[in-house]
Amino acid sequence: MRNEQEISAAIERYADTVRRLCMLHLKNHADTEDIFQTVFLKYALHTEPFSDADHEKAWLLRVTINACKDLLKSFFRSRTVSLDELVNQPAPLASDHHEVIEAVLSLPQKYRDVIYLHFYEGYSAPEIGRILGKNVNTVYTLLGRAKQQLREKLGGEGDA
Amino acid sequence: MHDKIRAAFGEIHAEEELKNRTRAYIAQQMSARRKPSGRMRLIPALACCLFVLLAGWGGHHIYFSPYSIISIDVNPSLELGINRFDKVISVEGYNDDGAALANAVDVKYLDYAQALTRILESDAVAPYTSGDAAISIAVFGSDQEKNNEMLSQVEACTAGYRNAHCYADDMDTAAAAHAAGLSCGKYRAYLALQALDPAVTPEDIQGMTMREIRDRIADLSGNSASAQAQETDLSSGGGHHGSISGSRKGKRHHAYGQ
Repeated sequence: MRNEQEISAAIERYADTVRRLCMLHLKNHADTEDIFQTVFLKYALHTEPFSDADHEKAWLLRVTINACKDLLKSFFRSRTVSLDELVNQPAPLASDHHEVIEAVLSLPQKYRDVIYLHFYEGYSAPEIGRILGKNVNTVYTLLGRAKQQLREKLGGEGDA
Repeated sequence: MHDKIRAAFGEIHAEEELKNRTRAYIAQQMSARRKPSGRMRLIPALACCLFVLLAGWGGHHIYFSPYSIISIDVNPSLELGINRFDKVISVEGYNDDGAALANAVDVKYLDYAQALTRILESDAVAPYTSGDAAISIAVFGSDQEKNNEMLSQVEACTAGYRNAHCYADDMDTAAAAHAAGLSCGKYRAYLALQALDPAVTPEDIQGMTMREIRDRIADLSGNSASAQAQETDLSSGGGHHGSISGSRKGKRHHAYGQ
């Protein structure tokens, strides 16, 4: 069991990361708060030491993504949340950023995580494969298709 | 596109309020987990139950363990087990008449003095206490002071009876008597008779009344005074039962055959 200082520091360090992942998966604030509580409680109770900061961050990303998926497929949610509720609820953004976020959110769920992990967190395909528990080739395929769809939506030039 | 995506995600931040609420929730959860679990909280309750059970068992054990014995021998041979609170906790007949008497009088849980009075005054004992029947009432216990106190009470209870002989002795004598299958009072009479007639056995004694035993002792020793002396010797320090010391030991309430 971690002490209060450790937990508070982790919240400060990883709150934005968790918030971004929640934005990719969830569409209301109450669910986001549930995920925050679930993820950081797991962190507080996680007693095995992390080998370094990267290891810790990768653990947190995996736990957050899994928690979001669990929440989405829970029996209660599957019976009570309608698709109409899927309204965007991120923090206020500049209009060009808003357009980008909307383009990412319009992608199928399976592409959103790889886009975020690759473009924002800077992970390579093998690293994303380890975090998501997917085959590297699958990650390459997902990345390729996600980029293509984003290019179509944003009309920008490609990058690697 | 890379930079646009980085910049767009970079603008997403967790609200301070969300962070604070998360901190508060985790702190509350952690403090709840640090409290003793339900199972741990049961320990004091279980300890209390165990204490109550042990106290109950201990109290039951103390109450129902005989601390002293009062042996009443006329013809019926009866023994009363007395606990340390002076209550009768067992009534045992040592011959047929004794067993009948034990069934006839209900003295269990009475104070021993009360019980003794009720037994001596009961219709079942009346035929034996009238006439010249010898009554032997003995107090046995390991606590000399207690024995003296009980002997005084017993003497007070038998004050109105002729031929009543009261004395006190230790628990070893009681154990030896029980091993021989005799009540304590009869066992002492048996020892007195055996000193004069080594052929006598406990079985011979079992069917005899105290009067018959006294008469036999008197016959063998030549006169009744000797019989009394024999009995008194056993009660006083010279006997091998030698137990309680002081003036109480072997004290006769009334002389036999008077």
